[in-house]
Amino acid sequence: MLTSLLKRGAIVAIAVAGLSTAAFAQLELKIMAPASPGGGWDGTARSMQQALMASGIAKSVQVANVTGAGGTIGLAQLINAKGDGSQLMVNGFVMVGAILLNKSPVNLSQTTPIARLTAEALVIVVPTDSPIKSAKDLAERVKADPAKVTWAGGSAGGADHILAALFTEAAGGDAKKINYIPFSGGGEALAAMLGGRVTAGISGYGEFEGQIKAGKLRVVGVSSSARLANAPDAPTLKEGGVNLELMNWRSVVAPPGLSAEQTKTLSDAVAKLVKTKEWAEILKARGWDDAYLGGAEFAAFMTAEQTRVSKVMTDVGLVK
Amino acid sequence: METTVALLNGFSVALEPSKLMFCLIGVFLGTAVGVLPGIGPALTVALLLPVTFKLDPAGSLIMFAGIYYGGMYGGSTTAILLNAPGESASLATALEGSKMAKAGRGGPALATAAIGSFVAGLIATFGLAFLAPWLVEVAIKFGPWDYFALMIVAFVTVSATFGDSPLRGLTSLFLGITLGLVGIDKLTGQARLTFGVPELLNGVEVTTLAVGLFAVGEALYVASKRFRDPEEIIPIKGSLWMSKEDWKRSWAPWLRGTAFGFPIGALPAGGAEVPTFLSYSTERKLCKYPEEFGKGAIEGVAGPEAANNASAAGTLVPLLTLGLPTSATAAIMLAGFQQYGLNPGPLLFAEKPDLVWGLIASLFIANVMLVILNLPLIGLWVKLLAVPQPWLYAGILVFATMGTLAVNPSPVELGMLFLFGYLGYLMRRYDYPVAPMVVGLILGPMAEAQLRRALQISLGDPMILLENPISATLLGLAFVALVAPFVMKGLNRFKAAED
Amino acid sequence: MTNEKLARGADRPALIVGVLLLALAGIVYYDASKQTITSNYGLGPTAMPYVACIGLVLLGLAHLFVAFRDGLPRPEAADKSALLWIIGGLIGLIACIAAGGGFVVAITILFACTARGFGRRALLADVAIGFVLGLVIFLVFAKLLTLLLPAGPLEHLFI
Repeated sequence: MLTSLLKRGAIVAIAVAGLSTAAFAQLELKIMAPASPGGGWDGTARSMQQALMASGIAKSVQVANVTGAGGTIGLAQLINAKGDGSQLMVNGFVMVGAILLNKSPVNLSQTTPIARLTAEALVIVVPTDSPIKSAKDLAERVKADPAKVTWAGGSAGGADHILAALFTEAAGGDAKKINYIPFSGGGEALAAMLGGRVTAGISGYGEFEGQIKAGKLRVVGVSSSARLANAPDAPTLKEGGVNLELMNWRSVVAPPGLSAEQTKTLSDAVAKLVKTKEWAEILKARGWDDAYLGGAEFAAFMTAEQTRVSKVMTDVGLVK
Repeated sequence: METTVALLNGFSVALEPSKLMFCLIGVFLGTAVGVLPGIGPALTVALLLPVTFKLDPAGSLIMFAGIYYGGMYGGSTTAILLNAPGESASLATALEGSKMAKAGRGGPALATAAIGSFVAGLIATFGLAFLAPWLVEVAIKFGPWDYFALMIVAFVTVSATFGDSPLRGLTSLFLGITLGLVGIDKLTGQARLTFGVPELLNGVEVTTLAVGLFAVGEALYVASKRFRDPEEIIPIKGSLWMSKEDWKRSWAPWLRGTAFGFPIGALPAGGAEVPTFLSYSTERKLCKYPEEFGKGAIEGVAGPEAANNASAAGTLVPLLTLGLPTSATAAIMLAGFQQYGLNPGPLLFAEKPDLVWGLIASLFIANVMLVILNLPLIGLWVKLLAVPQPWLYAGILVFATMGTLAVNPSPVELGMLFLFGYLGYLMRRYDYPVAPMVVGLILGPMAEAQLRRALQISLGDPMILLENPISATLLGLAFVALVAPFVMKGLNRFKAAED
Repeated sequence: MTNEKLARGADRPALIVGVLLLALAGIVYYDASKQTITSNYGLGPTAMPYVACIGLVLLGLAHLFVAFRDGLPRPEAADKSALLWIIGGLIGLIACIAAGGGFVVAITILFACTARGFGRRALLADVAIGFVLGLVIFLVFAKLLTLLLPAGPLEHLFI
C-alpha cells in the first residue's frame, strides 16, 4: 500500500517534471491559504497549485497554510513579505468583514491586488411549509418587525450575515434590530431550517441545492444579478422587488511593494491560469463560477466592496 | 425488506476487487493518520481530495469512508499507549486506557478498544442502513434549547472525572470554561480575552490543550520524580489478549457506548465528545469495581471507544439522508461528493442507489478490515512501551508537538502547548484532575452558543427551555443526577441515625 | 490568633492558587466590562464571562478557606534538573521554529534534551536519533501528505 502510494507520487513527479520543460518553466510560486487545510480558501489554493503545475505555467507551486482570525493573520504575514514577487495569497469577501470585526491593524488595501477568480451567489430560503412565498413577502415581514424574522446562516460578520443586513435595509427595515443567528457550518444552519426553528436561511446556493431540489426548502431569491444556470427556476432578489446584489467572491493578492514587472509576471500567470482547461475542469467539479477580473478593475472592485461592507457592519452594530 | 435487497446490492458493488482495494487503502491511511495527534481524518481526506479527482466516484468515496472509520480506530491507539489523545473524541479513552497501558494491560486495552469499535461500528452501520430516514426526522426536531439541555446533562456527569476533591475538580472545570471564552464570540463576532493577540482570536484548540495537559504534563511529571519514585512501565503483564474476565466486563459497555454514540452522533450538533463523556460516567456508575476507575478500569476504555465509533457512523445519517455535514470530516466528505457533481440527500438514494448502498456496504467491510488490521498490530504497539524510558518520553514529546507543527506552527500556538504542559505538570503535582479542564473547554462554548441561540429565537424568554418536551426532560434528568447523590447521602445518614 | 494561625497553618500553595483564581476572575471581569457590542436579543457576549467569573471567585475563596484547613496535598520534592532539561528542550523547539530554523532541527533539540532529562548521557547519539527521526517525519509529510512542516535552510535541500 505504501509502495503503491509512493509509486503514484513518483508518477506524478515524473509527469510534472515532463511538463515543466514547457514554457514559463521558471516561475516558482508560493500560495498562501490563510486558513487551515480543508477549508474553502485552502481548496482554492490547492486547486490553483494543481492547475498551475499541470498546465506548465509554473515550475513549482507550494501551498502554505496560515491559520487564524478569519485570515487576518495570513494577511499580516503577506504584508510583511514586502517586495516578494513569488508569493500569492488567496482571500475573499469574508476577509473584508473579518478585518473590520477583528479590528485588524492591516487591511486589504495594503496588498497588491492581482485578480478575482471565482464568485458564488448566495440564496435566501424558507422551509416549504412557510407562508412566505417570495422576496416581497419576506421583505414585508422584515419591515413590519425585524425581531420576529430569525435568520440562520454562517459566522457573524460573514457574507450570509451581511446579506441579511442588506436585505433588511433594502426592505426598509431597521438593520440594527436584525435577529441573525450564526451557526457553525452549513449543516447546523440547514438543520435549523428543516426543523422549522428559524424564519429564513442564507447560504451559498450549493449548500442548499439538494434540499431545494428535494422540495424541502423554497428559494426566496438568489443574490446574483441574473438567474443561475443550474437553477433557472429560482428568481433573483431583484425580480422579487428587493434591489440587492451580493456575490461571495474569492481572489488572489500579492505582497505590497512589488515592481511593475513583478506584478505583471504574477498577473499574467493568473490570467493564463484561468484560461487553462485544467482550471475549467476544477471549476466544474467544485461547482465554482468563473468570475475572473484582473488588474485595475479588480482593485477598484475590492475598494468598493470594502466601503460597502464597512457601512453595513456599522449599520448593524457589529462595528462601532 | 426493500432496504435489505438494496443493501445486498450494495455489497455486490462493494465486494468488487477494485472497491475492496480502495477500502483497504482507506482504512490503512485512516489508521496511520489517526495515530498522529492533531492530524485527523478531516485533514487526510482534504489532502487526498485533489489526488482522487480522477478516480471513479464510488471508489474514492469508499476510500474516504475507510479513512473516516480508520481514523476513529487509530485515535485510540495513541490515547492508550502514549496518553496523547489525538482528537477530542478519544479523550475519555485516554483516562483509563493510559493507566491500563502503564500497568502492563495495554494489550487488553487496545483489544477492547478495537473490538468495541468493531461492535459499535457494526451495530451503528446497521442503524445507518435501516433506521436512517426515521432517525433523521427525530434529529432535526432538536432545537438549540434541546442541545443546551443535552450539554447540561453532559456537564453534570463530568463530576465522574473529578477524583477525590470536588473543589479541585471544579477548579479544573472552570479553568476549562474560562479558556473556552478566549477568541471570537460565535454569535456577535466580538473578541474575548484575546488581549490584542491575533493568534488568540481563533480560540484555544482542544487538541492543543489535551495534548499539553496529558502528554507534555505527564512527561514533565514523570521526569520530576524520576529518582525519588521511578515510574515503572510494564509493557506486558499477564496476557496480551483479553481474558475471560475482560470480555465479561467489556461487552455491556460496548453496547451501552453504542447506544449513546449512534443517536447523539446523528444529531446535527451532537458531536462525538458528548457521548464519550456520558459513556465514561455511566460505566463508572455501573461498574462493579468502582475503585478501579482512575487506576485503569477496562470498562472506561470499552464504553467511550464504542461510543466514539458509533457516533462516527451516526454522523453519516444526516450526511447521507439530508446532505447535512455535521463534523469536519463529514463536511469534507460532502465536498468529495460534490466534486463528482453528486449531492447527498433524499434524491441521491433514488438516483444513485448503487453508489449510496455500495458506500454503506463498504462501511461494513471497512469495519471488518479494521479489526483484522488492528488486532495483530496490538502486539507490535505494546512493544513500543518496552522502548527505554528516555527515548519513549522523548518520542512522546516529538509526537505531541508534531500535530501542532503540522497544522498551525506559530510560536504562539507552540507556546500555549508548552504552557498547558507546565500547567498539567503543576496540576498533577497538587493532585488536580486534568480531564475536567478539557471537558470544560469542549462543552462550555457549545453550551453557551446553544443557550444564546435558543434565547435569540425566543426573544429572551427563558421558558423556552422548559416548554419543549425534549429539553425539559433532559434538564430534569440533569437535575436528578445532580441532586440524587446528596439525597441518597441524606437518606443513609437518616437511616443511620434511626438505627 | 489569626496571625499565629497564619504562621503555623496556612498552606502556601493553596493560598497562591486562591489568589491566582481571584486574579483570573478579575481579568475575565475586566475584559467583559470592556465589551461594547451586545446581542439584539437574548444573552450578549458578556453573560458567560460573568458566569465564569462568579465561579472563579467562589473557587478562589474556597481555596483561601482550605489554605487554613487541610491545604493541598503535599507533593514530594521535584528533580529540578530533569525538569529544566525538558523545559529547555521545549523552549528550544519554539525558538527554533520562531527563528525559521526548521522542523528537523527543532525536533532534534527537543528529542535530545528530553532524553537527557530522563537521564541519558549519550547526548550525541540522541542528537543523531532525533535528527533522523525528524527528517523521516518531515519527508513522509512532505511527500505523502503534501503537507509542508515548517521548513528552514536544511529542509529546503530536500524539497
